[in-house]
Amino acid sequence: MAFAFLTRYRTVAAPGYSRWLIPPAALCVHLCIGQAYAFSVFNLPMTKLIGITQSAPDDWKLTELGWIFSIAIFFLGASAAVFGRWVEEGGPRRAMFASALCWAGGFFLSALGVYLHKLWIIYLGYGVLGGIGLGLGYISPVSTLIRWFPDRPGMATGMAIMGFGGGAFIASPLSVWLMSQFSTPTHVGVGETFIVMGLIYLCFMMVGAAIVRLPPPGWAPAGYVPPVRSSKLVTTQNVFVYQALKTPQFWLIWWVLCLNVTAGIGVLGQASAMSQEMFKGQITAVAASGLVGLFSLFNMGGRFAWSSISDYLGRKNTYFVFFALGTVLYALVPHSGTIGSVALFVFCYAVIFSMYGGGFATVPAYLRDIFGTRYVGAIHGLLLTAWSMAGIFGPVLVNYIREYNITHGVAPAQAYNITMYVMAGLLVIGFICNAFVRAVDPRHYLKETERGGVAPAAAPAGE
Amino acid sequence: MANDRRAPNARASAATGNGLKLVLAWGFVGIPLAWGVIQTLVNAIKAFH
Repeated sequence: MAFAFLTRYRTVAAPGYSRWLIPPAALCVHLCIGQAYAFSVFNLPMTKLIGITQSAPDDWKLTELGWIFSIAIFFLGASAAVFGRWVEEGGPRRAMFASALCWAGGFFLSALGVYLHKLWIIYLGYGVLGGIGLGLGYISPVSTLIRWFPDRPGMATGMAIMGFGGGAFIASPLSVWLMSQFSTPTHVGVGETFIVMGLIYLCFMMVGAAIVRLPPPGWAPAGYVPPVRSSKLVTTQNVFVYQALKTPQFWLIWWVLCLNVTAGIGVLGQASAMSQEMFKGQITAVAASGLVGLFSLFNMGGRFAWSSISDYLGRKNTYFVFFALGTVLYALVPHSGTIGSVALFVFCYAVIFSMYGGGFATVPAYLRDIFGTRYVGAIHGLLLTAWSMAGIFGPVLVNYIREYNITHGVAPAQAYNITMYVMAGLLVIGFICNAFVRAVDPRHYLKETERGGVAPAAAPAGE
Repeated sequence: MANDRRAPNARASAATGNGLKLVLAWGFVGIPLAWGVIQTLVNAIKAFH
């Protein structure tokens, strides 16, 4: 079979394989797909593909280009939900391989769209195909990492999901540099940049697919003693992916993620404008862009830091911290504007962004605690629909409230106050949802006869 | 690995091989990430100035 190396049993690690090779494999994928956060660097150049120095009448509008990212994020959630079980049952290498083809293919198709100047091809390329690559790539390493790090699942998944936050840091300067290399007085260079980035990402993600391994059945890290009995909120049982949908726990965690992300994403896109309007004369447009970069670093760092802390604090308690501390900090932001304290504003925002990232990174381990390891990747895929929903709710909510305030005579500097209080209110609801999360009813657990092994018993060792 | 039953020599050579693989793998992802983070920090500092 030509693609036999992609099969699950060919992915099982030989004795002596270091588990510390799995996080770099996961990062190979997440650092690439994290480019999605930096796609906006292409927006302005793509409005000048015909006019070159300024937009011509036939050039694309920013509003039309904004849909590319939205479609990609929608397909991230949709593909993660639809293909979650396929990813889980086929193993991480097949999923990473497919993700690499989709992600790079999305770039190549988009380059064709730029060349032919057909926006629908870019919607199809980066939006649909790339979005599927995003979804497959996002969930594929999660359950693998959890299996290799049963002693520190939060830290392990945090490393991968930190990569998704960090991907933009690489993609943004790289895209700008590539466009500058390919641009001429008569050409913007976006298409060529897409092709080069597609090739780079294809190679990078294939390295990840080559390195990734599943632990052999029954493997455990040295010195690790698996708990014999389930603790209150950490099960040793497994729940089938579609059975999880029938539990209140899934939907409570769905809302926990959705509300945490809605609050974060809502203010994420407004950070620059908000800082300038709240501190007129103190924070310039250039300084605001520097602040946004700084907050992105906290977003990335928070993914690793909070998920690692959750291994000691417990997942439920970590989310309690996000919601309780978040409520206080969101409510403090308007106060920082009133007293004119830039330092307080920056502090509040930095911690808020760290918890926004931390929410993404901690949730796979939360799902593993509640539903077991067997189908955690697929369940995580279904849960990512909460992200898609939050991606629509958050910005709409913030923009609508701000617009309402401005039209009702509220000064721009104060227009964000209500927004922040509403976001704080959402976090209170999230706190309540989290409080209701209990252990899954035993009737939902997979029975012994239903349980599949991690790999077939006949898998050739060391292959 | 906890349940590794191979001879000590084989284990030692696997450990050496693993060490090199670990350096290469972490370097492969760590260097671009560090470059991106430094770029972001430099731009942030420039913006504040």
